[in-house]
Amino acid sequence: MGKLFDVSLVFSSIPELLEKLPITLELALLAMVLALVIGLIMAIIKMKNIKVLTQIVNIIISMLRGTPVIVQLYVAFFGIPMIFTAINNSWGTDLAVADIPGFVYAMIALGLNQAAFMAEIIRSALQSVNSGQIEAASALGMTYGQALRRIIIPEAFEVALPTLGNSLISIIKGTSLAFTCAVVEITAQGKIIGGRTYRYFEVYVSLAIIYWVITIIIEQLIKFIEKRIRIPEQVAMVSPARIKECIYDKD
Amino acid sequence: MIKIEHLSKKYHDNVVLDDMNLEIHKGDVVGVIGPSGTGKSTLLRCINHLEIPEQGVVYIGEERVELAQKKPKNLLDLRKNTGMVFQKFNLFEKKTALENVMEGLVTVKKIKKDEARKIAMQELVNVGMAQWANHYPKHLSGGQQQRVALARALAMKPQVLLLDEPTSALDPELVGEVLDVIKRVAEKGYTMILVSHEMNFVRHVSNRVIFLDKGHIVEDGTPKEVFDNPKNERTIEFFRKMNLMNEPDYVI
Repeated sequence: MGKLFDVSLVFSSIPELLEKLPITLELALLAMVLALVIGLIMAIIKMKNIKVLTQIVNIIISMLRGTPVIVQLYVAFFGIPMIFTAINNSWGTDLAVADIPGFVYAMIALGLNQAAFMAEIIRSALQSVNSGQIEAASALGMTYGQALRRIIIPEAFEVALPTLGNSLISIIKGTSLAFTCAVVEITAQGKIIGGRTYRYFEVYVSLAIIYWVITIIIEQLIKFIEKRIRIPEQVAMVSPARIKECIYDKD
Repeated sequence: MIKIEHLSKKYHDNVVLDDMNLEIHKGDVVGVIGPSGTGKSTLLRCINHLEIPEQGVVYIGEERVELAQKKPKNLLDLRKNTGMVFQKFNLFEKKTALENVMEGLVTVKKIKKDEARKIAMQELVNVGMAQWANHYPKHLSGGQQQRVALARALAMKPQVLLLDEPTSALDPELVGEVLDVIKRVAEKGYTMILVSHEMNFVRHVSNRVIFLDKGHIVEDGTPKEVFDNPKNERTIEFFRKMNLMNEPDYVI
């Protein structure tokens, strides 16, 4: 009979788990980008209160928030191929469903799930931007898109950043369910190692350590970005010589 | 130069502008005065379509803009031709003073950044804010922010400058510096519509004064005519109240 808990195994399995770390991170980042884009679109639809679309968005958000991620992953994994099969059957097309890797389904499901939460975060951040600035941008002749890109989003980003960091962390934790879509990321790798060595507990402890460290790194990264984009407390005056230089050509 | 026809605007049942017509010539500095809630600000905000009136047309230069439409097709031309200075400055908070002035030049006029920086710096020099070019709005006092906002509007070389109570959000001691800049701009021959409660300033800077009451122009003339010889009863009452406030509490 071996040891009940073998500490050395916790650390020795880490390198093998880390082999799959790129997949976890890639999945999380792509899902995050998808969530940001869809979340932004849904936020703008809700803010502008566009008829019909707002109702559709509300239903989608309610559905995504009201069901567990794991169920959404299953639905995406089995549902999307069925849609393609149905399309193939009725239109006579030959879309290669089987070629789509599970990674894509996992990305879509995780991204959509997080987009539902992000829509609210983004909406409140966009609305926190003082409407006077938007008026000033319009008065200058900027279109809404320009104002959004140049004025509103940079400011809203600062407001939303801490919450967006939390979203990224919850997506990373969500990727641990991606094995349901046949994606071998670090958690799935852990299960494989456990199945081979029968040392499940030690592997799960190593996984816990890895996720925790990733989360700590992200938190620090967010803090760093926050500091970088904050308006500085003090700024130096421009010297009269420099002003002259800026106005007149040097020739 | 700029002509407004049949401008009407109401908020729910409250009629703010009632079929107003106004023509302004090039180089005119028009002071708009009147009691609060009579549509002075609304008039300015309708001219550049920040508010959508029930009806009204504005002619500016060659352009004719239907204001009642939600998205008039030459809206951007209208906005390029009008510069606006707001009561609360409305500077872009995440941009420096220089970037604030450059913004419209780069995004709307599509001027190259280097060139835009030069123009913007020159405008900041004109309002005496060049030394603060790298400061952010939150570092600046109200008066300084408003001067940057003036530079931002002027950098676009609009045909008309709309000033919406530019000094009423300022501490009394900061009003002077902003009025000085506005006065210099007026002397350069800029066409301006100025909504203000600073009666003395309106009197000195403008060459035409209109008095609004309940959405109508009830008095229209030179500052001398309007301030010294008001004809309308409402105007007389308004000035009497203002003068009353200027009198000492008691006289020995």
